[in-house]
Amino acid sequence: MKKVSFLDYVYLLPALVFVGVFLLYPVVRTVYISFTNWDGLTTPSFVGISNYSRLLRDPIFIHSLLNTGIWVLATLLLPVGIGLLVASISSKKPGEVFFKWIFYLPYAFSLTTTGVLWSFLLNPAQIGGTFNAILEAIGLGAYTKRWLYEPPWNTYAMIAAYTWQTMGTNMILFLVGLQNIPQEPIEASQIDGATGWQTYRYIIWPLLQPIATVVVLMALINSFKVFDVIWVMTQGGPFRSSETLAVTMYRESFTMFQMGYGAAIAIVLTAFELLLAWIYLRRTFQQEL
Amino acid sequence: MKKLALLVLIVLACIWILPIFTMFITASKSSEQATSQPLPWQLPKPFSLGENASIAWNSGGLKNGFINSFFYGVVGSLFAIFFASLAAYALVNLNIKMKFFWFIVIYSGTIFPFQMFLIPLFEMYQKINLYDTIGGLALFYIAVAIPFCLFVLHNYFTTIPREIAEAAKIDGASSFHIYARFYIPLSYPAIAVLFLFQFTWIWNDLLFGLVLSKSEQVRPIMPSLAGLMGIYSTINIASVLAGGIIASVPTLLLFVLLNRNFIYGLTLSTSRK
Repeated sequence: MKKVSFLDYVYLLPALVFVGVFLLYPVVRTVYISFTNWDGLTTPSFVGISNYSRLLRDPIFIHSLLNTGIWVLATLLLPVGIGLLVASISSKKPGEVFFKWIFYLPYAFSLTTTGVLWSFLLNPAQIGGTFNAILEAIGLGAYTKRWLYEPPWNTYAMIAAYTWQTMGTNMILFLVGLQNIPQEPIEASQIDGATGWQTYRYIIWPLLQPIATVVVLMALINSFKVFDVIWVMTQGGPFRSSETLAVTMYRESFTMFQMGYGAAIAIVLTAFELLLAWIYLRRTFQQEL
Repeated sequence: MKKLALLVLIVLACIWILPIFTMFITASKSSEQATSQPLPWQLPKPFSLGENASIAWNSGGLKNGFINSFFYGVVGSLFAIFFASLAAYALVNLNIKMKFFWFIVIYSGTIFPFQMFLIPLFEMYQKINLYDTIGGLALFYIAVAIPFCLFVLHNYFTTIPREIAEAAKIDGASSFHIYARFYIPLSYPAIAVLFLFQFTWIWNDLLFGLVLSKSEQVRPIMPSLAGLMGIYSTINIASVLAGGIIASVPTLLLFVLLNRNFIYGLTLSTSRK
């Protein structure tokens, strides 16, 4: 065994310093701030768990938590579900590349741009909302709405925008998964006379499980943290009706300057996320080690 | 059944393409026409894309945001890749104790949601006068990109045969020489994908730009675009959409030119062999 050289550690230093100062120290500090009452200017004063007990009594937080739940469920259903559907239909078929491009293209637009675009699409018709204008043009004028101003429609509308931007990513991952499935068992099942659905259900789907788990977990983790689309489209309004945890955390901290309370929300968000990340990481490192 | 599946696919494809089409058409309409004729098949007359884009670029303040974010994207990803590659090299090839521990320490930077960073960063930046400075944002973007870069490069470096390093060592090469002459050039494919990913991430960031900056001279592009939306959305939606197009130019270009790498990067970040 060679002598450990101090110089070798210098290679680690820049990465450690950057991550330590800008990422890990803030995590620890947020935990501390969540036990204080702090307006961002004066010195934080320690208040124990009162921020957390306030969460349980705060209807805005409860509502935000429910909205986050809706986002998480809807993310499973729409960006992941449609992604799986589209990948399963188009995989190894003529036109696969064409469809792949179309569905993946929105990924080139940021969630902020997506929010800007969909705000315009969903505006009331009088000020130029495309979606309402289309409804009127095809005789469904009775269904027009001020989509972004009426809860719970504003949340559904933003989920639609989010689905549009993120579905392609899930589709690509499913396509990669489908690509890697060996051909032999599929052919064997077809020779044995299995229908297309039976082949999918009993051969392809089980073989797709590993990547499906990853896609679902990643989508869940991301949907917990959704911020950009909501901030651009409704800022969580009207009357804080469409906030999720990430938006509530931002609003409490940086527009109301209730930093201690904001930090407590960040902790709750983290608890949910770590639970999912733990499952994800356990999978990752099981493969690795 | 097959026909039904194809029909579903085509309908979905139309739904997916329509917003993009509408964005380009509407951004080309005059502000009056964009409001009075919001349907995508009502063609722009007169064609006003240039005018709308110039409003967004100049009076809308996207020009500063564009330049700033370009700087943040390039500097942030390059330095992050540099620092992460040094660390990955040390963890793979040098004589360091508790390698797994150091790896986890740096990698843990990706585990927490961003909301855990915001308040202390805001506090720290106010205290040490980094708030609303170009340097302050650049430093943060470097830091936030390091953990993922380390993860990918660490994986990549382990696939490089150790014999290369050992042979060079016998020839008297220093450890930095081996890093710079062998490990970095052999990893160009991974580095290119990382650059692509981190540049896109930094370019698309809204949250940290909102929290760590306030002036137009420092703001990245996405907070600028969100601000433009707040100010212009009722009076000139066409130029806001033109602004959205401007803000997407770099990512669209990268996407069209390097589509394959995006997909490769995506699989890198999820499935590992």
